[in-house]
Amino acid sequence: MLEHTAPPGKAPLIPPLDTRHQVETPEGIDLPLRPAGLMVRAVAFSIDLGLRAVITGALFIVLAFLGKLGMGLGSLLLFAVSWWYMVLFEVLRQGQSPGKQWMGLRVVHDDGTPVGWSASLLRNLLRFVDLMPFGYFLGAISCLQHPTFKRLGDLAAGTLVIHIERPLTRPQLPEAEPRRSPIPLSLSEQRALLGFAERQAELSPARVNELAALLAQPLHISAPKAVGELNGIARGLLGPT
Amino acid sequence: MRLSDATVVIRPRTTWEAMDLGVLMSQQHRRLLMSSWAIVTLPLFALLSLLLWDSPSLALLIFWWLKPAYERLPLYILSKALFGETPTLKQALRQWPRLLKPQLLASLTWRRLSLSRSFLLPVVQLEGLDGTERQQRLQVLLQRHSGAPRWLTVIGAHLETALWIGLMVLFYMLLPQQVETDWDWQSLILASGHDWRWLEHLTNAFYALVLVVWEPVYVACGFSLYLNRRTELEAWDIELVFRRLRQRLNGAVPVLLLAACLLLPGLPSPVWADEPASGPDAPRLLNQPLTSEASRDSIKALLEQPPFKNKETVTRYRFGEDPAAPARPEKEGEAPQWLKTLLDWLDGQQLNALANLIEVLLWGAVIALLGWLVWRYREFLQAFVSRRPRLPSRTRRPVPQHAFGLDLSRETLPDDIAASAEQLWQTQPRAALGLLYRALLSHLLHDFDLTLKPADTENQVLARIEHLQRPELLAYSRQLTVHWQNMAYGHRVPAAHLQQELCNGWRVLFGPGGNP
Repeated sequence: MLEHTAPPGKAPLIPPLDTRHQVETPEGIDLPLRPAGLMVRAVAFSIDLGLRAVITGALFIVLAFLGKLGMGLGSLLLFAVSWWYMVLFEVLRQGQSPGKQWMGLRVVHDDGTPVGWSASLLRNLLRFVDLMPFGYFLGAISCLQHPTFKRLGDLAAGTLVIHIERPLTRPQLPEAEPRRSPIPLSLSEQRALLGFAERQAELSPARVNELAALLAQPLHISAPKAVGELNGIARGLLGPT
Repeated sequence: MRLSDATVVIRPRTTWEAMDLGVLMSQQHRRLLMSSWAIVTLPLFALLSLLLWDSPSLALLIFWWLKPAYERLPLYILSKALFGETPTLKQALRQWPRLLKPQLLASLTWRRLSLSRSFLLPVVQLEGLDGTERQQRLQVLLQRHSGAPRWLTVIGAHLETALWIGLMVLFYMLLPQQVETDWDWQSLILASGHDWRWLEHLTNAFYALVLVVWEPVYVACGFSLYLNRRTELEAWDIELVFRRLRQRLNGAVPVLLLAACLLLPGLPSPVWADEPASGPDAPRLLNQPLTSEASRDSIKALLEQPPFKNKETVTRYRFGEDPAAPARPEKEGEAPQWLKTLLDWLDGQQLNALANLIEVLLWGAVIALLGWLVWRYREFLQAFVSRRPRLPSRTRRPVPQHAFGLDLSRETLPDDIAASAEQLWQTQPRAALGLLYRALLSHLLHDFDLTLKPADTENQVLARIEHLQRPELLAYSRQLTVHWQNMAYGHRVPAAHLQQELCNGWRVLFGPGGNP
């Protein structure tokens, strides 16, 4: 999965920056997680906050008719909503509160396993620390300065907020005669060829020709035909559809 | 611009992820970005505050309005750092006046309030486009995902406010008690007198400090959004791989030729392992710049270092162990007035009733929880906690009324058994002995609660009598059984003196009436 920008021979000492965070499983497999930063989390939190405000507001209007009993129930309700909303959603719905689901986020443990009761309780109880002294001051600072965007609650609970993987759609390749690649291609090169064919519609024709011309000479094909040839190789890589 | 030198992984990302990359970029160079920003903005802020001492809000407004001018410096640093040429602080600061020149007026006037400011700044500063060219470029760039830079600015504005207020609250919380009591909360907010001017400038300074933290991130996020859009539009990631592939293919032929030339003279070389003196531990290769000793030492040194050996130093806090330390005088300061009033209001009567109600509810919840626990573990409690369970009561078998074909019910026996036996003995000795034995069995059955089954033999009955632990009863029973068996199966009439003996024995055991 790792695609280094620099060629292997000249790999820099510092690995290039990426938003992917590799987690190694006991089987030695690297799971690429994509931690979510402050901005998208702030939006998700605002959605959750609004939702909670609507829920409590509506129930308070109903409870207002019950007098003192309503007030008591309302206080309990406020407690439940403010402290348990996140925990229950996170544990019972695969780490997704409605806001997080909307923004395509999920809470997981540091090793990528689904979040459990203790971690979720801890990270949500420590919201109290994160929002000191006003409006998630400490949480925002910590989130901006941590390499995997953890706020203090996440640090304590050992959790990570990640972008979920969107389901893949079948790529639409331009029509071309499938053909075999004349040279063996590595995985990243095969991917690049497929990407070249898939994203042709979004690129300008001049740019497409420019990219194809890069490979025209080493593959011994004439420059004008290069786009068609590369599309053919991509078709061949994709296999029968 | 050489894409292969980029210090970030170039691939198309979602817009939110692109912003995350911007945060990472700002983290990587945080010291340079923050210090350069602080060096540029803080003196300017101080100057503005001094010039406009009497109108702090105006000073802040001007400072805020000039933000696009400062933002060019972080963008310059980031764009240089992207290709590995991170400038030093001095170099960056020296570049700043030059960066200000292009289109400064436009970005400070009609473009100031654009929400996509940080996203579009690279078009002017890095691409150097102007006029219609710039317009066309913006059109292309904003064709898709144009919401993301706007969101970034909106989030940024809120975050700036939150951090600003947070800093003010933090400042208030850190005030010493003596100072705090002098200040009235409300008069601080509504301060208009000259006395509080410095405080307003101080809060303005907090805003300048907040910008030191946030603005580099904002510029970096805008820049990474711009990079992401360019990657999408121009397929930078594909170009990178294509270039590498081309390099591989063009470079492969000479490398192959070279390898062939080197390997061709495959002369058999002497076998070094045959020499006995040069074991792996023996000192050898002594005449070379790198002797085997030196190489072994350096290998050992390498093996001591982190990837192979991870040393960890654990430091913990411990309480001071000096018991003689004087206890700090506990002196609670007075709570501020506003807190008191809030508490007074909370002490109201109606809230007491509410509190009672909630208390009842919560206690009810506790009791319900306990009840539920007991119910949930009822089987466990029954099995392991309660007293010894009562065994199921033994079903009383119906007392058999017959044994050996003899009727054992009490009603069929005469009242005085010994006397009846004596009478019968003269005429029917068999009936007399039968009566005695039948009466014995009946007594055992009814008075001693002996369980007799219809299938029991005489000896089984005797064995049961042994369990009763009554020697005299056992002896008599044995005697009677022997004679009864002789009579019943052997047809041998017992001697006459035995008759008296048996009847007397009966009387001794069971009394004259036969019913003890």
